[in-house]
Amino acid sequence: MTDINEKLSALYDGELEKNEIDNVLRELENSNELKKTLSIYSLIGLSIRDKQNITHIASANLRKDNKIFSKLWLSNALTAAASILLTLFVVNYADFSRMNISTESANKIASAVNSKEAKEVVANSNEFLVDHIMNVINDPAFMDTKNTIDLRNVGYNISDKQNLGYSNGRESFKLRIENSDFGLNRIRYWRHGNKMIYLVPISGGRVVTIYGNISASKAIQIANSIKQ
Amino acid sequence: MKKNSNNNDSELVEKVKKGNKMAFNFLMNKYYSRVYASLFSFTKSHEDSEDLTQMTFLKVWQQITTFRGDSAFFTWVYRIAINLAKNYVSSANFKKQKINTSIEEADIEIKSFDDSELSLIHEQSLHKIRNFIGSLPESLRTAFTLREQDGLSYEEIGKITNTPIGTVRSRIYRARESILDHINQEIIKND
Repeated sequence: MTDINEKLSALYDGELEKNEIDNVLRELENSNELKKTLSIYSLIGLSIRDKQNITHIASANLRKDNKIFSKLWLSNALTAAASILLTLFVVNYADFSRMNISTESANKIASAVNSKEAKEVVANSNEFLVDHIMNVINDPAFMDTKNTIDLRNVGYNISDKQNLGYSNGRESFKLRIENSDFGLNRIRYWRHGNKMIYLVPISGGRVVTIYGNISASKAIQIANSIKQ
Repeated sequence: MKKNSNNNDSELVEKVKKGNKMAFNFLMNKYYSRVYASLFSFTKSHEDSEDLTQMTFLKVWQQITTFRGDSAFFTWVYRIAINLAKNYVSSANFKKQKINTSIEEADIEIKSFDDSELSLIHEQSLHKIRNFIGSLPESLRTAFTLREQDGLSYEEIGKITNTPIGTVRSRIYRARESILDHINQEIIKND
């Protein structure tokens, strides 16, 4: 590992032999630790090369008292909208389009279900998360909660009293709140056909599930409006 | 004195042009925080800076074939970032457009800062890192600062310190590893 780390350091400096680059890239592809190391190399360099700029950033961060950087609870819709973009590319993205599950996701789920070892690796939170999403997709009654939530302050009314869906005329969705946070500390989302599923951690160790044809920013706004 | 020109960048760029996502990933990780810092000086907002940084690298990925190598790679990236920053000022609907565009069009994983990286961008953390660098053995500290602060090549550092290039490479690596260990033990762990 030392050798590859030293090569990574040299490649970062632009000083690696050409014939060694591919080897480092291959190692990098398979190692999150190396990727993280690379990012921190960059930050270390920045901390001494661009002192003035980075100090301004640090000062601004300090003033915000870690609000942005704390494991989410998002304080307002704009922050939330920005933050969801940050996670769009890094969350486990499962495309459940057309009621089919992508090969990758199907394999993950199959592994979790069929392999004891895989289950242990997946750990409780992910296992519950997969189950939860599968329930949202496959069980129409799953999202039919009996407790209505007043969302008029964010522009949505109950559109179907039997099924407890919400709508503002253009967007409609169903919503439920879990008293478990599934180990989530970030917003996660999945696409299912023309609908989206958002899981948004909120205060009290809870998670809001929002399922419907609704944008990310609106989903966050709705989740943020739920206080009780 | 001749500055290090990041010679490997051009090779990595050629790989990216051929669709090598890992080469792109490397360049993105290498320059992400620099782009972010530049944009922060413009926006004064963490959220907007990171959004713009992500947009920058999305465009880099999408437009890499138009990069002709007339300038350094980072200069080209920086230009994209600044153009986006200008649009950021002029477009009230920037965020909404950005989110929609990104969801639909991204075919590459774009980096974001994780919690441990963010924990480094704080005054206290930076102070600790700089103090630690100051406490490194002289040979490591000299090689490292000549490289990171002054941007010298390994060859140039070797001439100044009268050491072989291989030793320079090893010292810089050992300095980075020491700093990394310190960060993991003293900053991220206590965050």
